Amino acid sequence: MSSDGPIYRTTNYPHPQQQQSSQFYQPTTPSPQSQASNAHGGDYTVPNPQSHNGFFSPQTAFYGSSNQATSSIEFLSNNPFLNVGFNVVEQGMKDMTDKTINMLPNQMKKSLSSIKYYFAVDQTYVIKKLCLILFPFRPRNWSIGYNADEPVPPRVDTNAPDYYIPLMSAITYVLVAGLVLGIQNRFTPEQLGMHATSVLIWNIIEILILCITFYIFNIQSKLRILDLIAYCGYKYVGMITALSSYLITDSLFIYRLTLLYISISLSYFLVKCLRLQILPDIGGSQPYNTNGNTRRIYLLLFVVLLQPLFIWYLTQHLIIP
Amino acid sequence: MGFTLYNLIEAALLCINAVAILSERFLSKLSGNANINYPNVGGYGVDNQNSGGAKQQLLTLIRSVRTVMRIPLIAFNVVTIMFLILFG
Repeated sequence: MSSDGPIYRTTNYPHPQQQQSSQFYQPTTPSPQSQASNAHGGDYTVPNPQSHNGFFSPQTAFYGSSNQATSSIEFLSNNPFLNVGFNVVEQGMKDMTDKTINMLPNQMKKSLSSIKYYFAVDQTYVIKKLCLILFPFRPRNWSIGYNADEPVPPRVDTNAPDYYIPLMSAITYVLVAGLVLGIQNRFTPEQLGMHATSVLIWNIIEILILCITFYIFNIQSKLRILDLIAYCGYKYVGMITALSSYLITDSLFIYRLTLLYISISLSYFLVKCLRLQILPDIGGSQPYNTNGNTRRIYLLLFVVLLQPLFIWYLTQHLIIP
Repeated sequence: MGFTLYNLIEAALLCINAVAILSERFLSKLSGNANINYPNVGGYGVDNQNSGGAKQQLLTLIRSVRTVMRIPLIAFNVVTIMFLILFG
């Protein structure tokens, strides 16, 4: 069969149909035929539709058979070779992540799953939350929904804290800071890294101070540390708007005005959010002495006052004309 | 700004060193001289929410930091000193 040139060419025509169905799982058997067709060298290329299974699908389509996947997209989804490849890669990655997760101690596994809660967001939540941070003054219900004593994920409840907005706005802040520096011709690539590091460090310092303050004042509240990290991350949204207002208008007055407005609205937002979690219930039955209440109020005010301070401090060094 | 990660580590190390250096006599004088024996003494009312008051909490914090960090602090300090000598 390998020596018959013309006959081979004509018999090539029905081959793709009948062999494609059977040759998928025997990838080695078409090879003698491919060698044969290559040995013919000079014939218009029969590009081995049997061995490559429609890899050169436009040319197999040229042969006009109706059974094959004629478009490459259908080829991609119908071809079991690619499916097998994808499955192997997927399986490998899942194994790797499972192994790394199982290697961690138990407490880290719990924190990993609780962190996943904070990333369960969707677009409507993000948009609503951003509008809320920038304009929290409409009367609304600020309580957090609970589902059998577990807080509801942010996808369902707009009042729940999340990590997506703080993370993304922190990264955007670093980029906008680079932009502002660039406009003032002060930009070098190391500045980006330095700003990212200082964002991280100031976050750590702020959370440490707040945790120590919570501990010293012996306040037991429903607020977890992870929630606190989320609430402290919402100030980057304000920083970005203040910096963008400076970028757009290039006037210090507008920048200071935006800063003032951002501080007021962020403070209002945080007071409303944290009030229900730090302060005790108004109609509660626990016999708190008044010291506890005053301390909580002071702590709430402290948290809320720290934010505008940080906003001002972290944007100040960028604006110096 | 100029804040690097190294600055943070250095600041934390110095703060913990400061906490570890406080003398025991000074602490016992602050805490009304009764903290050595009783773990739950406070000047305020002793219900579960508020046992201790701010001063007692602070002193408990300082004591626990000292107890925990005594040995690792030696290691951290030696390592930091070596790094500073070698790399300036």
